[in-house]
Amino acid sequence: NNKVFWLRDHDHSELRSIPDLLNTEIEDFVSFISPTKEEIKLRNNCFETLSSIITNFWPDTKVHVFGSYATDLYLPGSDIDMVVVSKFGNKENRSKLYALSSALRKTGLFSNLEVIAKAKVPIIKLIHIHSKIHIDISFERTNGIEAAKLIRSWLVETDGLRELVLIIKVFLASRRLNNVHLGGLGGFSIICLVYNFLNLHPKLSSSTILAKENLGILLIEFFELYGRNFNYENIAICVSNKRGCCYLPKQNYSELKTRTTFGLSIQDPLDPKNNISRGTFNIIDIKKAFSGAFQLLTTKCYELSPTTYKERFGKTLLGDVIKYKGENR
Amino acid sequence: NKCTKQQRRIYCNKCDSRHHNSDRCPLIWRSYIVTNKHNEKVLPMVLNIYCYNCAKKGHYGDDCDLKRNSKVPNTDGSAFSGDNLPGVLR
Repeated sequence: NNKVFWLRDHDHSELRSIPDLLNTEIEDFVSFISPTKEEIKLRNNCFETLSSIITNFWPDTKVHVFGSYATDLYLPGSDIDMVVVSKFGNKENRSKLYALSSALRKTGLFSNLEVIAKAKVPIIKLIHIHSKIHIDISFERTNGIEAAKLIRSWLVETDGLRELVLIIKVFLASRRLNNVHLGGLGGFSIICLVYNFLNLHPKLSSSTILAKENLGILLIEFFELYGRNFNYENIAICVSNKRGCCYLPKQNYSELKTRTTFGLSIQDPLDPKNNISRGTFNIIDIKKAFSGAFQLLTTKCYELSPTTYKERFGKTLLGDVIKYKGENR
Repeated sequence: NKCTKQQRRIYCNKCDSRHHNSDRCPLIWRSYIVTNKHNEKVLPMVLNIYCYNCAKKGHYGDDCDLKRNSKVPNTDGSAFSGDNLPGVLR
């Protein structure tokens, strides 16, 4: 069991109840997976280097970040998403993209430069040699910046959101179900699912419990809702700022209908006509994975419940569910 | 013609259920740490109650009258049940 890095120096087997055991293991895992000060510095330096090169090259532009780097929900090895916004909005032009990429190549600071000009969203991909961080640069699209702003406000107001999102991200990544191009669940969709779950939970919405103290149960109940109970065929998830979190019947919202009857619909909080999980065609496997995680976690709880503290030593509850494949940190 | 094997009885003395034995009782993990700052006077507030089965407002999916859509049975109940609300709000 040497892959359960986060248990290394922390053993909580003397704790009384199973929920306590789960909660503390989740806390340990979240602090294990959270970036260290050095990693944060490296990322910030990488961003600043690149953004100053771009603004020097095009003085009429501003460089913003969006995605996981902007919301602090990134895992080790995540990429940085940047967007270049200019006064005249003309930087998505093909020749401009190539001009920038050759300027970046000349600095010698980046490798694997790739210009993807023909895509719906043209981007430049590159790797910062010093920090080995992958970077995607897009142009003139501001909706990512808006989304990041919204998510940051959710993170401030919603206790427990960050922890659960990080765990579910690692969970889906280890099963290769997090890549939107392969029908997986993207970061924004994961955040919306967890945010909706936390806001509709009976114990949380009636403020009977605090999410921070009940992360273990909430994780199991997240898997329970989306792995066993949720009606994917007829219901869409809504996280709108105006309406608050709710469910919508798909039949009344033609724009949220999915290609197959069994499909995930999440209404875009910034554009009600858009389904942000449109690309998640592999929801069947995702549902199966959630339901499997529910089985594994609860079975583990039943197994450990009657054991003595001595027998619990070094045992993990999360270890079977979250297979962290990265390096030891 | 008497059957020699006694039928195994499924019964949980933790929650009085006939769906599971006590060593597999959901209460083993589904026991919340209730906040002590909780103030009953603040209630009732406007609650976000929506059904995971029919999307309607006002009841939870476990208590839905319509046919259950999910093929996974829900014998032991889930978090989204009216029983999970504090007493005054039920």
